[in-house]
Amino acid sequence: MSDYKKYVCEVCGHIYDEADGDEDTGIAPGTRWEDVPDDWRCPECGVEKSEYILLD
Amino acid sequence: MRIIIIGSGIAGVSFAEKCRSYSTDDEITLITGENSGYYSRPLLSRGFSKDDIEQTIILKTFDKLRANNINVISGVKITAINRTDKTVTSSSQDDSPLHYDKLILATGSAAFIPPLFRPYNELFFCLNSLTDLKALRKFRSEITRQNRPPAWAIIGGGLIGCEVASDLAVSGDPVTLFHAMDRLMERQLVTEDSALLLEVLQKSGVKVLLNQNVKGFSKQENKVCVDTNVTIEFDALIVSCGFKPRTELAELANLEVGRGIKVNQSMQTSDESIYALGDVAEFPNGKLYAFILPIRNQAHWLAGFIAGQESANWTPPVFTTKAKVHGFEAAHPYNV
Repeated sequence: MSDYKKYVCEVCGHIYDEADGDEDTGIAPGTRWEDVPDDWRCPECGVEKSEYILLD
Repeated sequence: MRIIIIGSGIAGVSFAEKCRSYSTDDEITLITGENSGYYSRPLLSRGFSKDDIEQTIILKTFDKLRANNINVISGVKITAINRTDKTVTSSSQDDSPLHYDKLILATGSAAFIPPLFRPYNELFFCLNSLTDLKALRKFRSEITRQNRPPAWAIIGGGLIGCEVASDLAVSGDPVTLFHAMDRLMERQLVTEDSALLLEVLQKSGVKVLLNQNVKGFSKQENKVCVDTNVTIEFDALIVSCGFKPRTELAELANLEVGRGIKVNQSMQTSDESIYALGDVAEFPNGKLYAFILPIRNQAHWLAGFIAGQESANWTPPVFTTKAKVHGFEAAHPYNV
């Protein structure tokens, strides 16, 4: 699968890559952005998921 | 190797964790005046619109860092760096001086208070730390208990001032924002975006006063007043006029200091065993990188450098920021 997308936290620049997930916060590799729980927060600056935008 | 880090913000904590990931033998000690844990500084500006902020703002407890074999000494203030015997002295009387081979200064920054306002420091709040936020929230809930929202004056229409004004306004409080310049966030935004920001803030109920020459503050019974050409009463004031790097320890130790602690491109201070990073570090180009992304980048690079994994000089990454003003999206990139 090569259509994994990346999302960037507009507040701090942290990148969520669907291919990698986020091990530290328990998000498995391959987890789609829409499947990341709504209460998940940026692991680097703590803001909510809604602060992320699609990186193209 | 004994590595001592002073400061538990994003610079100190990111460095300590990266350092630990490179080496299991080094003794890593992180000393901090904080007690609450490692928290998100950007989230301070969302401190009123979220009820559970005092818990959710904590990104990592100190115990979690300790479990990663980082020796966290919390609630302790370092009072001196003794460069000749490579030790630091703390405020805690039963602690003997701690030895370091490498000392990392990640002391961050305090709120900058313009000299004109300093005589009135009993009359205003700042919002620079979790302790400040807790004091503000306590004050706010005491007033709210009298069945009315507190009336706020925010002094300073930069990034933090606009964020805090916005967050208080969407939380239902009347807010007046005083700004010295003719447009908001003039350092980061182009004129067009400043105008848009003004519109967004006004729509959310913030009364924005531009070109203000605030001369001082005064107290009248339960109210505090902002004195310009006229005097306006409020329940509380928040001064947000920028930040001041905490350079005092470095100055006491006779390290080279400008606006921040002067470092070379490898974050080394004028003492080769002492490094500085984050808000407090001033690079040879005169810049301080007071944003999350470049600070994380500095922390990771420096840990690699000390572990012998990086040889080249640190180069700043491309980064941007975004004001956390409810409903505001700038049309142009920020000037950082």
